[in-house]
This record gives sequence, structure tokens and C-alpha cells, in this order.
Amino acid sequence: MPVVLVEKDDLYVLNYCTKYLARDNTDERHNFLGRLPAGDPRGRIAETWRFPITDTYGGGANPAENYRYDSVTFVYYRIGEAPPAQVSVVGTFADLYAPVPLRRIEGTPYWTVSVRVPKGQVHLYKYLVDGEPAVDPVNPQRVVADSGQRWSRFFTNFCAQPIVLEGWELALLIRLTDHILPFRTELAQRFLRAFYDGPDRGAKLAEAPLLYLLDEPVGAANYIDKAIAREENHRLLDYRICLAEIAKVLRARYPYTTPELAPREAYEDLYAQMAGDFVDGWDRQRYESPRFFLQLLRRHTYTGAFAHPKYGGNSAASAWSYLEERYRDVTGRTLFDWRRAVEQPLGSDPLYRGIPAGQPPSQWEVTDDD
Amino acid sequence: MTTERTSFDVVVIGSGAGGGPIAHDLARIGKSVLVLDKGPLLRPQYQTPDELSDFKRDEMFATGPERIVSLPGVANRGASFFTSHAEPDLNDEPHIYRERDGTDRVTIEGYTAQVVGGGTQLYGGVSVRYTATDFRLRSFNEGRTDIREDPNGDSRRESRDWPISYDDLEPWYGRAEELLGINGTVENQAKRFSADHYQPPLPPTAISRFIEIGMDALRMPRYRTPVAEITRDHPLSGRKASDPRTGFVNRYGDPLGLKSSTWIALLSPVSEMPNFEIRPNSVVTHLEAEGATVTRVHYRDPAGAPRVVTGKAVVVACSAIESVRLLKLSAEMDAAFDRRINASGLLGRYFLTHSFGGASGIMPGRYDKSISLDSDWATDFCWTEDFIRSNGIWSGGLIYNNTSDSALPLSLARTYGSEDLDNFWRVFNEDARLLGDRAIDFLDYNIGRRLSISFMANQVPVRDNRIELHPTVRDKWGRRVAYIVKDWHQHDRYVMDVLAEQCARIIRFGGDGGKGEFREEGKGGVYAAVNAAARVANHVLGGVRFGTDRNDSVLDPSCRAWEFDNLYVTDGAFMPTSGGGNPTLTIEANSFRVADILKGRV
Repeated sequence: MPVVLVEKDDLYVLNYCTKYLARDNTDERHNFLGRLPAGDPRGRIAETWRFPITDTYGGGANPAENYRYDSVTFVYYRIGEAPPAQVSVVGTFADLYAPVPLRRIEGTPYWTVSVRVPKGQVHLYKYLVDGEPAVDPVNPQRVVADSGQRWSRFFTNFCAQPIVLEGWELALLIRLTDHILPFRTELAQRFLRAFYDGPDRGAKLAEAPLLYLLDEPVGAANYIDKAIAREENHRLLDYRICLAEIAKVLRARYPYTTPELAPREAYEDLYAQMAGDFVDGWDRQRYESPRFFLQLLRRHTYTGAFAHPKYGGNSAASAWSYLEERYRDVTGRTLFDWRRAVEQPLGSDPLYRGIPAGQPPSQWEVTDDD
Repeated sequence: MTTERTSFDVVVIGSGAGGGPIAHDLARIGKSVLVLDKGPLLRPQYQTPDELSDFKRDEMFATGPERIVSLPGVANRGASFFTSHAEPDLNDEPHIYRERDGTDRVTIEGYTAQVVGGGTQLYGGVSVRYTATDFRLRSFNEGRTDIREDPNGDSRRESRDWPISYDDLEPWYGRAEELLGINGTVENQAKRFSADHYQPPLPPTAISRFIEIGMDALRMPRYRTPVAEITRDHPLSGRKASDPRTGFVNRYGDPLGLKSSTWIALLSPVSEMPNFEIRPNSVVTHLEAEGATVTRVHYRDPAGAPRVVTGKAVVVACSAIESVRLLKLSAEMDAAFDRRINASGLLGRYFLTHSFGGASGIMPGRYDKSISLDSDWATDFCWTEDFIRSNGIWSGGLIYNNTSDSALPLSLARTYGSEDLDNFWRVFNEDARLLGDRAIDFLDYNIGRRLSISFMANQVPVRDNRIELHPTVRDKWGRRVAYIVKDWHQHDRYVMDVLAEQCARIIRFGGDGGKGEFREEGKGGVYAAVNAAARVANHVLGGVRFGTDRNDSVLDPSCRAWEFDNLYVTDGAFMPTSGGGNPTLTIEANSFRVADILKGRV
């Protein structure tokens, strides 16, 4: 499948390069919480997670079709080294044997190319720098493939595939977020059941594109998986340790069931203890403050539920729809009319093109074949 | 590589309220103009090839993911911070302030936005004129004996009349309103208008009805808050009106370009002219002078390579804190520059913001706040001479309501209990009760019910409130960062209490149909905040004040540095008093005034 190139002007790319990459400092002022090995040049760079730049795709003649895609802008730059003579990128987003050449932005050390990638996907890539393969020197997302090869990774918006969390971690996290969010009351449950499974499900799918049906009502756990894979990667370790601690504590308290199936009281008791910063059976040597983790989890859960669905939570805008439904005046008109400000086809603003407006095609589901 | 032009009639550093108007006017008359801005040029969707804006209606843009302060030697090392996509990374270029306990802390306070258009891209857009009294507080307070909570008479002694009067600036206010595109109403404003350039306002947000009732019951003459957002076609900037349909206003750039930022309204309309050039992503590191003439402007290009340009005139407009810093960094490298720029010893001193605060209430009923501009109603009630004298305050202040605050779910949570940039999420994080059913209660209690009202008043000028260079912390270019040392005067605290009470009264009388027994939820002035020593409402003013006496000011009445023949400072730094209202329109009007002077000088 040939890759579709996207034309982005130099200004678009430099708007990112100057703020995050250009600098003189040699100290590792961005290696907070020791998330990178000492001496890693990425510790000198701000917000490395922004690369490659994942943005809405807006080109082409058919704006409705565009909605299924993001534009992904690769920037090759190795801090402190003279720019190479030639750079290309290979990756699973295109034919692995057809490197996509980058162009050098005139008068700068930055090489760049933008490609179209379907939303909701995860891809591995590496650069060919003067012919030699290299992982992205900026992007903190790296994986080691089964072959032992190192790759850089990116994922596009509306991604529902687990990135960093294991199956058991996600299952437990779904229960944890479920007990934080307001969506477990009977009223909310009724709303969400209707939202997902009602007779107009087909219409919902058309109207709320990229609806992914997760095992959780609003996708907060999915959002957390994405956030700690990328923009808050410095919190991945907090989750790794604390999910294990919580699983251990719950297993000890409820030995005849798995932690994610423990009863509601198990979670209520757990949260009460975490809020008091003392959890029976919690290993404080491994993680000092359960209260801190509860705060982190609450901020992430709330953010995941109510942020734009492209971040992986608020699936199909279900949390916004919940507020829309819950708050109505005596005539039945909603008092949280989020749709008016949000791009079509998720919302109804005909002018704002956070994602280009247009007639939705008949099928909105994301397919993996392109 | 194409050869870049290096010499210009005017080099303008900073493209916001202080730089945009000058660049616009001088480009219009054919002068060669270069605008340098350290921030990116983020365009509305009608200016990009693929019709996608770099600004988005996305709550994660206003307040992004967690980052951690990692700079050595600051007391809040290890603390989280949450900044907008258009604010600097605090580990790259922090502001440091001195806390009352003597420790140094990193703060986001005092940054407007690092983006072409500056603060006018992200601000709520409140665009009021100052009153005539704001320009002459020294004369106004001459001989008064009724000023309370000011035992040493500082407010009388330290206030200064501006070298220009309201009437001098009035035509430029009109020009700013006309060229930018502001909606509002003139009637009931305590200022003289020679012409009405406002576009008509949109219908007020439903919850603002309480403000109307409260202000009317208290006989506070009200007017529609002037807001920098077009509601009609604006041919001067080539913009078509449309319904903004958004609550993504304050702290959001406008993807539709309806918000009247200096980029949208002033710079993009001249950007195709051959004599105009803007270089975004270009940070000016220092100025170099020969004698009284600034001869070279040193900057880094978007890739960080050093560049030099020259201008017959050089205009510094980086927002007050950063302008002081740029001048001090230049002075640090050259003793002769230092002697000239700091001849009065006042560079960086008399740094100002506003005495500000307000009141809030949880109102009866529920209203849709998800679509609104930043403010509906304002009053100059606290500007009457009777009010000022009977309350024993040295000057009045503006009161206006906020409509877009807490309107969206994430902004509601992260500003819960604290509304400043350093403390996003703090109260939410610490309130462990917000789980499960209680989280529903939280939403039920707040969504569509919260109404707040703010005041902006003059802050007493204090010589020791100042901007310095921090002794140790350096930005990513190795330059010393800005160090904010300030606190609130006793009389500021008193003014804040007086005006916060007026805000609370509006809620009390508005909430129960005019009886005055409704309970506000809270009221107060910013002096009581946990980080009160840092707080600046994003209104950064003073530090390079203008005046008629060269021993008592840094700039002459034309905003030119006294000992230089081509160096101007035109952001809020020029103000000798901070004005009793949001400052942007006054900065813009003054920038048009200085442009007119510059036309005869370059």
C-alpha cells in the first residue's frame, strides 16, 4: 500500500522544533523523576513526547473521508550532532521496504516528512540516516521487537489498543476508574446502557464516529494507558508499582476471587484507606504514599472521562453526552450543549474544523486494512 | 539559502498588544518593519493550506499534561505544573518569584503567552478603557486626608500622573477599538467617547441575568463588557462574522479567528506587504548599542542559530517582565548600555499588576454556560468620586462578571478551589471525597450554576516591587531568568476588601430578586492566596515607567528611553500606575499613539 504524503509547510514544523528542540543547555533539565538514563540526550529536550507530531488530517478533496485519518509529521534531529546528508523513515504505517524520504528544512538541521495514517492505530518505525538504521533520537516511545530489534513507536488519535498496560493491569484499572467516576449510579448506568446498546445503536455509530466499544463505560482506563505511554510517561512506573500493590492487597483480602472481580466494598474500603494514606498490606518501601497514587489516579480518571475523545477516553463522547442528558431545563432543552462548539461529525459546529466538516460516509468504523 | 534582509526602519520585538499596533501602522505607511517573536505563529483555520488551525477547542490545550519542576535550587523543585501549549516550558524559561518565607519558587504567573499575538491570543478579551482619573492619580489624591490603611501616605506619595491625559489618548482608544474589532456598549461607562466604534454585543449568557438584577438593585449603572471578539463582519481585517458558538475562550486561541488578537486583526492584514516581515520562533537575546543608538538586535533563528538585524528604531514589547529582563540582559553585557538604560536607577522598579479578586455564588436554577464569551456585564460604579471618598480608597476599579469560567468539565475540576495557574488541580487532588456518588454531587453542584464576578483596581506603586535577573537560574539559552520580587501594600489589601464586598453585594442582591439576602459562596482579594506574592492576573505592568522627569522615570513621554535616541518600550511596562481595569486596550491605544510619533522619526 503506497503511503499518502501530507504537505505541511515549514512554519507548521518549526512551530514545534523551536520550542521543544532548539536550545543551548547541556544540563538534563527535562529528565524529571529520572525517567531516562543519566546522560541520555533526550533529558535536555522539552516535551519529547510530542514527536512525531500527531495531528488531524485535513488535506484532500473529500473532508468527510479525511476524518478517518491523522497526519503524522516525522522530525529527525539529533541534538549536538551535524545534520546528516540523507534521512528516510521506514515503518509499519507503510511498506517496510519502501523508505519514505524526509526533506531538510532550509537553513535548519531539521529533516521532516508528513504522512497520512488512519486514526486508532499503533505503528513502529525507524529512520535510515545516511543509510544506517536508527531509532528516533527524540521520541521517548521505544520498543524492542521479538526479533531483538529496537523500534520507535507512535499511535494515532482515538486509539483503543492497549499500549503499555498488561491485560490484568487494564482490567484492574477499569474497576478502579469505575469507582472514581460518577457513572456507576443507577441513573448513569441506565444512561450508558442506552447510549451503547439502545435500539438506535446503528445511528449512534454513524453519528458518533470511531465509537469503540470497550469493557468500560467511558474509556478512562484506555486514556490512562495512552497518557502513561506518551505525555505522562514519567508516571508509568507509578502505575506499574501501585497496580501490583493494589492487586496484592485485594488478593489477600479476597482470596477466592480475582482483584478486578472483588465486590464494590473492596474498592470503597481501599479508597478510604488510600485517602488516609495507610493501606493495610501496602509495601511502603516500594511506593511510599498510596494517597499520592489515589490523587494521580483521580486526576487521570477525571481527565480521561471528560477530555476530547481523541485522547482515548470519553469514548464516543459518552461523558459529555451524560452531562447533556443529566442537565435539562423544564422544557427538556439541555443545559450542557457541548455539541455546538465541537467539530462535526462528533459535534455539530459547521464552521470549526478541528476535524473537517462534511457529509459523513455510510461507514464510520475504523478498519485496519489501510 | 535565500539572503535574509537585515536592516529595517523599525524592528519590533514582540507581536502582542504593545508591538502589534506599531508594526501595523508603520507597515501601512510604507516603512520597512520586522517583527520578531519568540513564539510560534499559530494560525486560524482560514489562514492554513489545509483549513486546520493550530488552536483547537480542546481542554488539553489550555492546560496540558503534568510536567515536573526540575531546576536546582528552587523550593518547589519536584512540584507538578500544568501549562498551556502556548506558554513556555517552566524548566526551559521559568519566572522565579521570592516567596514570603524567603525561598525562591518557579511560577507560571506573569507569562501571557509565547505565541505571535502574545496575550491577545489567549486572553478573555475584556477590552475596557481606563478612566480619566487613572491618568492622574497623583493630582487626584493631592491633599487628601481620608485615605484609609495607608499610614505612611504611600499611595499619595508614590502615585504619578501619566505624562498624557485621558483626552490625549482618547483618539487612540477609538482607533484601537475600530481596528481590532471590539463588541460592547458605550452607555453608562464613566469615560468620554468621541465616537462609538463598538460592534453590537451578543445576547448575554442566561446566568448573567443575576448580574443585571443585582447591579440594578444596587443602582450600579451597567454596560455590556467590551470584549475583543467580532460579532459583525470586520472589513478592516478581512474577517467575516459568524456565531462563535463556543465556551473555549479564556486561555484558548480561536481557531475561527473571531477573537481580535493582534495577529488576526493587525498583523496578518499587512503580512503580505513587501515592506513587512514577521519572524516567529525567533528569540531576541540582547540589544547592542553604540552611544545613544541601539545598533544591533541579536536573536536566535528558529533552529537556534545566532542572527543580527538593525533598525532605525527598536521597539521592545515582550510583556513587562520579559522586556525588563531583555534590557537588563543587554545592560549586563555592556556597562555603557547599563548606564544609559538605568540612569534613574528605576529599571525594573515599580513593577505593577492589579489589585484584583472578586466573589462567586452558586445560583438558584441551572443555566447553559457551555457557550459564552468571557464577560457580559461591567460597571464603573466604584469609580464615582463619592464611592472613592466615602470608602477611603485612593482610586476606584472596574467590576465585571465572568461567564466562561468553570463552564467546561475539565476547567471546572482543575480550577476547583483555586483559580491560578500555579495551582491547577491542587484542591481537586486534595479533596479525597470526590469519588463515586460525591463526584456526581460535585458536578450537580457546579455545572451551569457557578457565577463569578471580578474587580480590577490600581495597585499602589512600591519601589521595591521589582523585576531582577535571577542570580543562578538560567533559561535554555543560558540567559539569566526573570526574578519577581513583590508583595501587596497594606492599602491594596484594603482596596481588595472594599471591592470584593461590592462584588459580593451584586451576588447577594442578584440571587434573590433584589432583596439582598442571598449568600455568596466566597469573596476576597488575591492577597490572601497561597501564592499571593507571585500572583499577577497576567496583567504585567510597570518596571520601565514613562514620565516627564528623567530622574523619576525610564522612558520619556513618547515611550523612548531617556538616554537613547531610538529605543522604545511599549508593552505594559511603560505604565507608572496600573489603571483600574484590564490593561490590554490601553497598551494597544498607547502603541498606536507611539506609532504616530515614530512616523515622524524613522
